[in-house]
Amino acid sequence: MSTPQLLFKNRRPGETVFMEAYKATGGYSALEKALTKSSPDEIRNLVKESGLRGRGGAGFPTGVKWTFFPSDAPGPKYLVCNCDEMEPGTYKDGVLLAADPHQLVEGMILSAYALQTDVGYIFIRYAYERQAEYLRKAVEEAKAAGYIGKNILGSGFDFELLVHGSAGRYILGEETALLNGLEGQRPNPRMKPPFPATRGLFGRPTTVNNVETIANIPHIVNGGALWFRDLALTPGSSGTKLYGLSGHLNVTECFELPVGIPLREIVENYGGGMRGGRKFKACLPGGASTPYLTAEHMDVALDFDSLEKVDSRYGTAGVTAFDDQTCMVAATLNLIQFFARESCGWCSPCRDGLTMMRWLLETIENGEGTPEHLEMLKDQLKNISGNSFCALAEGAMGPVAGLLMHFEQEIVDHIEKGCCPFRD
Amino acid sequence: MPTLTIDNQQVTVPDGTTVLEAAEQLGIVIPHFCYHKALGAVGACRMCAVTVVEGTFKGLKMSCLVKAEEGMVVTTDDQQSVEFRARVSEWLMLNHPHDCPVCDEGGECQLQEMTIASGHGLRRYTGKKRTYNNQQLGPFIAQEMNRCIQCYRCVRTYKDYCGGKDFGVMGSRNRVFFGRFKDGTLESDFSGNIVDACPTGVFTDKTYRFKSRYWDLQEAPSICPHCSLGCSTVPGGRYGELQRVRSSVNEKVNGFFICDRGRFGSSYVNHPERPRQATRGSWKLTVDEALQQLDVKARELINQHGPESVLLLGSNRASLETNWLLQRWAEEIGCRAPLLSAHLPRHQAAQVAAFDLADRLCSLEKVRQSDLVVAIGADPLAEAPMLGVALRQAVRSGGKVKVFDPRPVELPCDFEKQTVSPTELLDLLDGTSVESKQLVDLLRGAERPVLVAGGLMLGAGGMLRLKKIAAAASNDQRNCLVHPLLGGANSFGAALLSLPEQDDLLTRLESERIKMLVCVETDPLLEAPDNERFAKALSLLEELVVLDYLPTPLSVHANLFIPTTAPVESEGTFINNEGRQQLFAPVIKPRLPISVTGEGNHPPREFIDVAPGSDPIPSWQLFQQLLGEATDLPTLREKMKTAVPRLIDFETLQPGGVSCRVAHVDERCIYTDEIPAAPEESLQLVVTPARYGSDLLSRYSAKLQPRFTEACVQLHPQDAAARGLQDGAKVVLDTVEGPFNLTLKCNDKMAIGCALVENGPKFQQLVPGGKLSFCKVHAGMSHG
Amino acid sequence: MAQEEKIDSVGLLDENGLAYFIAHAGELEHPRELVIDVLRAIQKNHGWVPDEGVELTATILGLEPIDVEEVATFYDKIFRRPVGRYPIHICDSICCWSNGGEELAELFQQKLGIAFGQTTEDGLFTLLPSCCLGVCGQAPAVMIHQRHYGPLSADDVDELIERLRREASE
Ligand SMILES: Cc1cc2nc3c(=O)[nH]c(=O)nc-3n(C[C@H](O)[C@H](O)[C@H](O)COP(=O)(O)O)c2cc1C
Ligand code: SF4
Ligand code: FES
Repeated sequence: MSTPQLLFKNRRPGETVFMEAYKATGGYSALEKALTKSSPDEIRNLVKESGLRGRGGAGFPTGVKWTFFPSDAPGPKYLVCNCDEMEPGTYKDGVLLAADPHQLVEGMILSAYALQTDVGYIFIRYAYERQAEYLRKAVEEAKAAGYIGKNILGSGFDFELLVHGSAGRYILGEETALLNGLEGQRPNPRMKPPFPATRGLFGRPTTVNNVETIANIPHIVNGGALWFRDLALTPGSSGTKLYGLSGHLNVTECFELPVGIPLREIVENYGGGMRGGRKFKACLPGGASTPYLTAEHMDVALDFDSLEKVDSRYGTAGVTAFDDQTCMVAATLNLIQFFARESCGWCSPCRDGLTMMRWLLETIENGEGTPEHLEMLKDQLKNISGNSFCALAEGAMGPVAGLLMHFEQEIVDHIEKGCCPFRD
Repeated sequence: MPTLTIDNQQVTVPDGTTVLEAAEQLGIVIPHFCYHKALGAVGACRMCAVTVVEGTFKGLKMSCLVKAEEGMVVTTDDQQSVEFRARVSEWLMLNHPHDCPVCDEGGECQLQEMTIASGHGLRRYTGKKRTYNNQQLGPFIAQEMNRCIQCYRCVRTYKDYCGGKDFGVMGSRNRVFFGRFKDGTLESDFSGNIVDACPTGVFTDKTYRFKSRYWDLQEAPSICPHCSLGCSTVPGGRYGELQRVRSSVNEKVNGFFICDRGRFGSSYVNHPERPRQATRGSWKLTVDEALQQLDVKARELINQHGPESVLLLGSNRASLETNWLLQRWAEEIGCRAPLLSAHLPRHQAAQVAAFDLADRLCSLEKVRQSDLVVAIGADPLAEAPMLGVALRQAVRSGGKVKVFDPRPVELPCDFEKQTVSPTELLDLLDGTSVESKQLVDLLRGAERPVLVAGGLMLGAGGMLRLKKIAAAASNDQRNCLVHPLLGGANSFGAALLSLPEQDDLLTRLESERIKMLVCVETDPLLEAPDNERFAKALSLLEELVVLDYLPTPLSVHANLFIPTTAPVESEGTFINNEGRQQLFAPVIKPRLPISVTGEGNHPPREFIDVAPGSDPIPSWQLFQQLLGEATDLPTLREKMKTAVPRLIDFETLQPGGVSCRVAHVDERCIYTDEIPAAPEESLQLVVTPARYGSDLLSRYSAKLQPRFTEACVQLHPQDAAARGLQDGAKVVLDTVEGPFNLTLKCNDKMAIGCALVENGPKFQQLVPGGKLSFCKVHAGMSHG
Repeated sequence: MAQEEKIDSVGLLDENGLAYFIAHAGELEHPRELVIDVLRAIQKNHGWVPDEGVELTATILGLEPIDVEEVATFYDKIFRRPVGRYPIHICDSICCWSNGGEELAELFQQKLGIAFGQTTEDGLFTLLPSCCLGVCGQAPAVMIHQRHYGPLSADDVDELIERLRREASE
């Protein structure tokens, strides 16, 4: 394999690496190096220079986010790791944690040191109980090794790390909903501003980052910013990325590949082509909330900027591919069904707008649609987009926008035939 | 102070004002649901969208969240905004039943209004509607969840604002449910506010269900008569029946909400036994005849027996106008100045508030904004419920609340409580004790300190002590303010009008010089201390005249009875506990409700030219008749203002609005207090108003009956044990007013060395606000 | 001050679990953060969270029952109604859907003779639709007691049900 393996360095099928094995391949060397040789500021600068962008979906530059953090504010401050990972098509964090939980633990300690936070929480979804157990074990091991606790490695830095299990619901991935969830409140998203950096968990300064984002930190500390940038294939990008493949591909596994890899390579080389020799029709390039790519996008590089240029998003790089026998109306209905069901119920465009959207798609898919329904679909898309309280409903519009952008004819076919053309 | 342009009109607003509020100032109402002035903006409904043409963030924005900026340009009626708001209406209407014709909210439904305003007229969605099972929430509130549009206002009102603990939001997505954990009566004393807060017909006033359509109601701005705070209300009635009360807005006083006592406590107006006919014994009279008899008899007695022989008694239930005219009539007929309260200690405490404390009194608004409120001898939920909600707002914005009281005080917010006996309370205020100095230091450390003074518990002497503490805690930069709690709706007004009084009703009656007593909207049998002695003293009278609108026991004893109107049937003025002159307007005309006269038939089958039961006349009009002057209220008020210069702007006041406070005055400071020595093995007697039914109006309100509590005497478990008494035991409470058989309740939140009884419908004998006194509690039954 | 009132776990938490949560809640500045932990522990013990479980959680954490209920009813993996010994969460999100998720769901319903939301008469199985389970590469998948099974063929379903039946009878 040509791509250097950072995050999957220790991945072996069916195995989980713990302290001894982790250290054997250089684990915790970054921590030792940083805590003894670098100041928190230096690490923050390094992360900034590395160009690392958040792996949780929004792609916000991590170093920039960290510079907003009031590290010198007195009183408790928190670092929260987001392992809600409930967006359909996204399972990379789960794979990473099942293989090598110490990477996240080391990353958390390093990030906490860089941000000068006293307590870290790893918020992990209900379905990842296995990973949660690995994490708890890794945290215990790290404590025993003196990497967590008081005066870590003699640096004077104290840090406590807790693993917090959830109980389902996609909205907890939204960072402010997650904070409410952690506090034991109803997990509706919070109003921004104030941003978590000023008023987050328990009203204190808080940074929320994705698992993969944080797991990258030790590698950046070890390899340096330039090296990390060079890992990516496209200018302006940096690092490798975990690509979770799913859908109608022959191989549906998770790979660590460079940022900027073209879609074709994913589909043809890593995904092994479409199952049953069928044709590629479309894919979600980065999870359920990203607008579809089609066969004409085969040569588009998968990175934040390139995908934006083709009106889609890099998201979480969970690539779900659909073959030519897939009804895109039905696929979109399935996705909207997910978002409508996962709405927290706070704002009208999401709670009721998605319900309306689901009904429209259902009506069309069932062959009961009329041209008015298509118009309604368009006006719902237009009015929900950009107008919900948090990004959940916004994300839900991704596939609908993709559907109308690339497959409007398919909707028209449904309406004209009075049934779904893909069903007999 | 940014200046911005909204729909081509310019407006300058204070920093931090939202676009929605700025538009309001221009008279542009941007549709909204989740925004509520008291509850703030949460950005959930998305109804208030407008287009920001110039500004930091351009495009479609929620006007409740966007702050006004200098040079900002906003349009509310552009196509994008209009279309979006129509879509929001469409979304909110997806599940809404089309039951407007039978909905209890019909006609006063914000959803109806906003749906029409937004231009969403035709239903396009034909999918399934989600439906709910409703909960049984007790006697006051009906729930119809299918009508919910999820604005979250109910839970933000009930839980966040009012501090209720048994209501919330459950579920998620398009299936959120607002209600209780299980069926059952909503426990909060402020539960009714969700009726006003809910923009649709989910939560409605159960006591008013199926009585009237909103547009058929007669409504008018009024003042709640149930305690001394004087919250703004809008009562509504029809066909001679007072059917409901909703809260009105006075940002200086109650803000936007009221308590359940005020909301559900007004059915006294419709009391089936309410006397509506002038009578002498069993003879029916016209009001004119009755007045004639009153006038003749009074003058006759004064001629024969001198000015002492006629005693006029005003009250804190009667309006300022009535009390003032009563004084005028006394002058006219040449008797001594009337007493304006049957309860001297309460009255004296009110006088201290009205005179000595006048320059440091503060509104409830100031309480809400305070960073430290120390309540002394005050139990807000019993004496002035909305003060409890005001304290909660102080706490919510970071303030602290401290309570010194012998009672097991509860509040809808976090607070610190120091349990002290009434005598310890006076020590706390003596200015010299360690505790007293600590208290002053504590207040000095605050930026906006407020002392809440419980007038009933502290009495005039205690209030004067508290004044010294407030003075000591004040400095050049800021005053330590005082928020006093008084006995009744117009206690302040009655106090303001009267001279310092030193002798009380009983002493005068027992002097045997009084031949005639005229009670104006008061019943000393229920409202004065030692009603047994009073009952005896009544027998010494030649003539007892009662003017009232309640079926009180005294009206049975009256030789001459003259019916008056309830506040909702007349115009008048109450002055609230902080000296605010507040006018109430007539809502309905006095008459027997059609539901009574029609015996259920509708329309009534008998036609006569006067409504049955329409004799009652506002008491101030009665006295004007006696004085032979029939002016309108503005003219009357002008006269009053000349006579009582503290009534500033009085002649220009209108019902509704924030109104204004009376002028300050030089202090009087004439009362002293003595702490009597405690008899051996005695307990200090604490009489507190029950939360419901202590004021006579709520006692005569059938709607509130479910809230009436059983009578008992409460002791600290330690005091009970010392007497060998167990929780639930039948005991005798021995007081100076006689022995009472009661059930014992042990409560470890009571002050040690005190016995507590609640004055209310189930125990009327002892009245709160008396002098310090002592009692004993022992096992067994008393005889006699 | 006074001795802590003894909390009755009404059989929903074992002695150790109860003692652990009471102690832990006492140490924390914000005991409310344990809401999900306590609810999950009750569910693990009792299979689901009855009203008493909500009340117990509230008592342990010093909350009102409604505060707990507001949270409990938000999450789809907290059961506020009885479920069978093996609640089967069948993924119906896009990756499983594209790999025969609907057919799998159909199969489960046929084999167990129940519809979604129902429990088999022997009290063993409850079928629940679930959003993405986080094993999109192994579609179509189900989750039982936080363990994943996928990709599942028709034969796998038979075998899985059989195995769980056997396990239950042991
Ligand atoms: C509905 C919704 C769900 C989300 N789910 C996740 C998630 O499961 N994991 C995650 O890391 N970020 C998720 N995010 C993004 C987070 O809000 C947040 O941006 C991210 O955790 C920040 O971390 P990063 O900068 O390291 O990516 C979600 C956002 C939304 C709006
Ligand atoms: S878009 Fe609105 S309803 Fe949807 S999850 Fe976000 S806040 Fe909740
Ligand atoms: S009023 Fe602005 S979002 Fe509801």
